[in-house]
Amino acid sequence: MISYILRRLLLMIPVALLVTVVVFALARLSPADPALVIAGEQADPAVLTAIREQLGLDKPLPVQYVAWLSHVVRGDLGRSFQTRQRVLEAITERLPATIELGAAAILISVTFALAIGILSAVKRNSLIDLLSSSVTLMGVSFPSFFLGLLLILLFAYVIPGHIFPPGGYVPLATDPSENLRRLVLPAATLATASLAINLRQVRSSLLDVFGLEYMRTARAKGLRERTVIARHALKNALIPIVTLVGIQVGAIIEGAFITETVFSWPGIGRLAVQAIPSQDYPVVQGVVLVSAISYMLSTLVVDLLYAWLDPRISYVSAAA
Amino acid sequence: MSGTTVPLALGRRRESPASTVGAFARRNPRMIIGGALVVAWVFVAAFAPLIAPYDPIKVIPSDALIPPGASHWLGTDDLGRDVLSRVMWGSRVSLSVGLISVSIGLLLGVTIGLAAGYLGGTFDLIAMRGIDALLAFPALILAIAITSSLGPQIQNAMIAIGIVAIPAYARLTRGQVLTVRAREFIVAARTIGASPLRIVIRHIFPNVVNALIVQATLSTAFAILAEAALSFLGLGPQPPYPSWGQDIAYSQRYLPNLKWWMSVGPGVAIFTAVFAFNFLGDALRDALDPRLRRSGS
Repeated sequence: MISYILRRLLLMIPVALLVTVVVFALARLSPADPALVIAGEQADPAVLTAIREQLGLDKPLPVQYVAWLSHVVRGDLGRSFQTRQRVLEAITERLPATIELGAAAILISVTFALAIGILSAVKRNSLIDLLSSSVTLMGVSFPSFFLGLLLILLFAYVIPGHIFPPGGYVPLATDPSENLRRLVLPAATLATASLAINLRQVRSSLLDVFGLEYMRTARAKGLRERTVIARHALKNALIPIVTLVGIQVGAIIEGAFITETVFSWPGIGRLAVQAIPSQDYPVVQGVVLVSAISYMLSTLVVDLLYAWLDPRISYVSAAA
Repeated sequence: MSGTTVPLALGRRRESPASTVGAFARRNPRMIIGGALVVAWVFVAAFAPLIAPYDPIKVIPSDALIPPGASHWLGTDDLGRDVLSRVMWGSRVSLSVGLISVSIGLLLGVTIGLAAGYLGGTFDLIAMRGIDALLAFPALILAIAITSSLGPQIQNAMIAIGIVAIPAYARLTRGQVLTVRAREFIVAARTIGASPLRIVIRHIFPNVVNALIVQATLSTAFAILAEAALSFLGLGPQPPYPSWGQDIAYSQRYLPNLKWWMSVGPGVAIFTAVFAFNFLGDALRDALDPRLRRSGS
C-alpha cells in the first residue's frame, strides 16, 4: 500500500508540472499587456518598460515559466494587479467561506442522496422511486445560476417574511445563526447537481448489491431487513459513492464560481470571477492552479480510500 | 434430446437497421421525447429570424417590463425587448456553441485517442499525460480560464468548451482501440499489408462510432450548460446580442422588483435544451452501447 501511495505521488509530479505549464500558458495567451493593466492606458512608455522588466516579461517564455514556477513552489503566487495584495493571502482569506459553502453543499447532497436513494432502491418502481428519478433527471440539467435565482425570488422576495436573505455572508464566529440563515440557499443551490448524480449512484449501486448471493444468505440467516441493508448492502454499495463524493470535494471551487457569484458569497470563486473583467491574471491564475491541485489531490485520496474500504481491491499487481 | 445444437441466430428473421431503430424507438419513449425536444430546438435556432415575433435587440422604452401576456408571451425586459424573441435568437448561440465545440473536441480527441491507442509507446505515454493534465482541471474552471485568457467572445467560448471536451473523447477512443487492436480482424488486416492509417480508419474507427455518438450527445448537453455559465459570468457573446446565460445574469437586478419573467424564459430554455440532449444521450447509450448501460437504472 505504501509503495502504491509513493508510486501515485511520483506519477502526479509530471501531471502537476503539465498543469503548471497549462496555467502559465493561459495567462500568457492573453492579448492584454499586464503593464498596461497595472499602470493604465495613459502611462508613460518608460514606466511600462520598467514594469515589464520588473515582472520579467522582457525575458523569453521558458525563462519566465521557470521563474514563475520557482515562486509557485515557494507558495508565492504573485500579487493582484488591482489590489497589490498577495494572491495566496487573498485566496487563504476567502478559503474558509468557500470551504463552509462546499461542506454544507456536500452534507446536504450526501444526506438526501442516501436517504432518498435507499428508499427508492428498496421500494423500486414506487412513487418515491419515480420522484427520485425525476429529481435525478432534472438536477443534472438544471443550470445552477437559474436555480439560485429562483430560490432567491421565492424565499427572499415572494414568500412573506423573507425567510432567507438574497445573499451576503456573515462569518460563523460573528453570528452563527445569521451565518446559517445566509448559508441555506447557496448550499442548496450548489448541492443540487451533485445530489442528482449521487442519488442515481446510491440507487443503482444498491440495486446491483441487492442481486448478489450474500444478500440472500444474510436474509436467510433471519436478519432484519434494516440490518441487511445497513450492514451488508450499504457497506459495499458505498464504495462508488465515496469516489463520486471525493471528486465532488475536489471540485468544490468549480461550483463556487457560479454559486458565489449569484449569492455574493465572498469565497475564492467570486474572487476569480471579479478578477476576470479587470484582467487581474495573477488572481485568476492562482485560483485555477489551487483548484486543479485540490482536484488532483482529491482524486488521489479517493483512490487510497478505495483500497481501504474494499479489501478485495489490491494494488500489488498495479504497483508491480 | 439429440446432441445437435442449432445456433439461435439461424432462426431469427433478419431485420433492416431502419426497422430495428423504429421498433426500439417505439419501445423507448425517452428517445422520442429527447429527440423531439432536440429537433424542436434545432428548428427554433434555424428559423429564429422567421419565427421570432419581434426584433430581439430593438429597444422600445414604452414596452419596458411588460409581464407575460397575449402580445408578449414571455413578457419584455427593462428595455422593452421581447423575451421570447431573445430566447429564440439565443438558441442560435447555445446550439452553435454546442455543435462547434463538440466538433472541436471530437476531432482532436478522436485523433489523439486513435493515434495513442494504435501507436502505443512513447506517443501514447506523452499524449495521455497531456490528457491527464487537462483532466486535472475541473471542466468548467478550465473553460473559464481559457475564455478569460482569450477574451470574452463566442468564438473563444467555443474553443474553450471544445478543449475541455477533448479528454473524454481521447480516453474513450483510446480505450476502444486497445480492446479491438489485438482482435483477429486487425491482425488479419495487418498481415495482408494494410497501412496503419487504413487499419485505423477502415477497421478500428467503425468500432468506436457508437460510443462516440453517445458521448457527443451528452457533451452537447454539457456544452450548452457551460456556454450558459460562461455567458452568465460575462464571458460569452456580448450585449446586446441575445444569449441565455447573459440574459439571466442581466435579469438578476430586477428580482427584488419581482420581474421574474426576465429570468424564467431563458432559464427554462437552458433547462429544456440540456435536458433534451441528456435524455437523448441516455436513450442512445442504452440503444447503441449496451456495455455502457447503467446497471439498475
